[in-house]
Amino acid sequence: MNRHLRRTFYLFAAGFVALTGLLAYWQVYARESLAENPDNSLQTQRAVQAPRGLILAGDGETALARSEERETDTGKAYDRVYPEGDLYADVVGYWSTRYGATGIEIGENSNLSGNVEPATLDDLINQMSGGPQPGNNITLTLDPDLQRLARDQISTSNTGKGSAVAIDPKTGEILAMASYPSYDPNNIDDRFPELSEDPAQPLLNRATQGLFVPGSIIKVITAGAALKSGVKPTDKFTDTGVYERPGYTVVNYDDNVYGQQTFAQSLALSINTVFAKVAIDEIGTDALYNTARDFGFGDTYEEFPLQVSPSDLGGGDLAQVAFGQDTASSNVFQMALVAAAIGNDGVMMEPRIVKEVRSPDGIILEKPGPRERQESLDAETADTLQDMMVGVVEDVHPEAKIPGIKVAGKTGTAEVPPRDPNSWFIASAPADDPEIAVAVLIENGGDGEDEALPAARDILSAYLKDNGG
Amino acid sequence: MLLALLVTTLGFATLIFAQESNSPPLIYGAYYAGTLLALYFGVRLILPHSDALLVPIVTLLTGVGLVMIYRLTFDVEGVENLATTQALWILIGCGTMFFMIVFFRNYHRLFDYKYLLALGAVMLIASVISPLGYEVNGARLWLALGPVSFQPSEFARIALIIFFAGYLAEKRDVMAATSNTVLGVQIPTLKYFGPVALVWGLSLLLLVFEKDLGSSLLFFAVPLLMLYAATGRIAYVLLGGILFAVGSYTAYLLFGHVQVRVRTWLDPWQDPNGEGYQILQSLFSISDGGLTGTGLGAGFSQSIPEVHTDFIFSAIASELGLLGAVAVLLTFLAFVYRGIKIALLAEDDASKLLAFGLTSMFALQTLVIVGGVTKAVPLTGITLPFVSYGGSSVVGNFVLAALLLVISEKVGQHEITDETLGEPMGRSLQEPAR
Repeated sequence: MNRHLRRTFYLFAAGFVALTGLLAYWQVYARESLAENPDNSLQTQRAVQAPRGLILAGDGETALARSEERETDTGKAYDRVYPEGDLYADVVGYWSTRYGATGIEIGENSNLSGNVEPATLDDLINQMSGGPQPGNNITLTLDPDLQRLARDQISTSNTGKGSAVAIDPKTGEILAMASYPSYDPNNIDDRFPELSEDPAQPLLNRATQGLFVPGSIIKVITAGAALKSGVKPTDKFTDTGVYERPGYTVVNYDDNVYGQQTFAQSLALSINTVFAKVAIDEIGTDALYNTARDFGFGDTYEEFPLQVSPSDLGGGDLAQVAFGQDTASSNVFQMALVAAAIGNDGVMMEPRIVKEVRSPDGIILEKPGPRERQESLDAETADTLQDMMVGVVEDVHPEAKIPGIKVAGKTGTAEVPPRDPNSWFIASAPADDPEIAVAVLIENGGDGEDEALPAARDILSAYLKDNGG
Repeated sequence: MLLALLVTTLGFATLIFAQESNSPPLIYGAYYAGTLLALYFGVRLILPHSDALLVPIVTLLTGVGLVMIYRLTFDVEGVENLATTQALWILIGCGTMFFMIVFFRNYHRLFDYKYLLALGAVMLIASVISPLGYEVNGARLWLALGPVSFQPSEFARIALIIFFAGYLAEKRDVMAATSNTVLGVQIPTLKYFGPVALVWGLSLLLLVFEKDLGSSLLFFAVPLLMLYAATGRIAYVLLGGILFAVGSYTAYLLFGHVQVRVRTWLDPWQDPNGEGYQILQSLFSISDGGLTGTGLGAGFSQSIPEVHTDFIFSAIASELGLLGAVAVLLTFLAFVYRGIKIALLAEDDASKLLAFGLTSMFALQTLVIVGGVTKAVPLTGITLPFVSYGGSSVVGNFVLAALLLVISEKVGQHEITDETLGEPMGRSLQEPAR
């Protein structure tokens, strides 16, 4: 009889093994497909059961996103509300149970949702016990007044399309980041299909994810590379209006001819032929691309919570890349960082948009300080270049001047035929020790000095006035 | 034993933090620990030679069950007190167990009343058809006696197993020897097989009328396995298998709720918010647990209907993950292992068959319900032994464990006698001392 008993036991044991296998199948192998099943509401239940953390502007008071409690028949649920509407939409993003999430909402999701490494004993107990945990609160570096001004500058420009980014060159804090047209994240669930089809691309964060032909603002990078290669600001070049390349002739914007000019004046007048010649004769491909890389080109800024499409010179014709045409492309965020690095003695600070993270009861969990990212240029070269950019404003574009304050800047008029050129301006002020650097792009806005320059100047002066500069 | 209590206490402690509720669960937890500790020492004292692992295993399983029931029901209106009730049932179960080991130490007496027990079992099952019985979820298996309601089939099962064990032990030699061959298959003589088949068929018939699929399956399969163990005839298993197939198919044709069960098993996606809802929610919850689980209290298995009874395993898998669920399964397997070991070492046929029958029922019940919630087999409404909420189930399983204990006590006594006599009997079956 014992033989039969043992056999039966083996049968039972086999049954248990089979069940273990089946459990492993459901819990490991089929886990993801079941979690994503549209009939499975557990994920959204989880998402709405606990309040997400607040997102605040740099003043620590203006709420950009908060969770509002709502009674349902199964208990409490939380809706995400964005009191500032479309003003911060491109930075803050949206949190939709149907369409996913963007911006800070996803970039800082582990903090906002409370699913983060426990930082305090309370956190640990909360996580161990598994109760619904409120998320941590995030304060951004954005200055509410400057953000509104930057957005208004874009929305009231001639095309109403573009982006502006302002940054503190000494700390790397993003002071403003505007992109327009934008959208209201409050009703994203209803309007998402319509917004994603809109040719004006309101869902695109032009500051970090939009790549645009940079045009002449790239000349500051070329100039930096040229200075490193031994070119002096006082070196003289003769512009005949054309520079011949195999199969292509470089001409100046509006077919201007400038005659003999110094290198500094060539930057101020934005003479394409001189920059093409310098790139070919003095800099060379490697040096130009290395300098661009030192300024952050090709980088996705992994540590930055927003998604960044890397700027890139591309592999195009060196002569044209040198003045920002052909394959060169850049986002606005990147160009603000370039202006900031030149102004900050060549040192690029790590860009930061999160000022601090606090637990729901106000304990500071993270407060990242300023950190050097890399040396884009040595201090001497950077100062020389900054002086050349002061010359751009003083000698050629006096409309960028702010009374009593020295401004360093560079215009860009990037040709994107058949449409009107993109209007660019990058600047920093006060030029000797900049407190703010900006990059403004008005899509198809025309000449750089017409649209982007006044917008950038107003942002600089407003910030410096408010901050006693 | 200490480990089992520690796990349960930890579970409760976690829940208390989770739900910021204070004294009730802790006090009941303390009562629980005290009761089972007392039971453990009681059993060690009264049955010093009995299997030392059974009570700790039962403690762990009921403890895990109690924690899960508390977690799943404390904030649900209408059933907030289920955990308290369950704790009370565990207390009654402990009392019953204690009573059994004191008064039924000589369990062989039970075999003398086997026909009476069989009759009692059939009566118990039949009782729910009486006006006292009532239906829950389409199955009529509840009996109301004043304020207390219970499922008589939980106890009828055990009574029937005692009957079968006694009867088969008496008749196994004749049944194995005398048989007629029909079409090359050996068919036992009706004379000896008759009474077994009669009781068997009768209880099945009643269960089919009561629409209790899970119990029907157990009533059918357990005697079959006992028959196989007693006679060693694979023919019985084959015959039983054929009968089972015919029976299931007939049930499928006759009863709508059986059809629903099969349909939702084969393709629950057909009607995800209707018929397939329960099994799909179960699968979602299980998969949500992943390898390590969502953590106690963080899962969403409350969305499964009947989660605290039949589907409690889904909640365990969801919140404790694959690791926790497998640990619970291993605990069940350990119980089955001890049970089979007791059967192997038992002296006489009746004891062997009784221990084997009880263990088989326990194992099958676990496999069928865990298989049911993981979509391995169609769902049948039975409880997960010791873990699920349910008074009759808990008390019934304590009775089952008590019977195994008294059988193991006998084994232990004999082993000691054998050792003093120096006979190397049953050596090969013994595991190394631990």
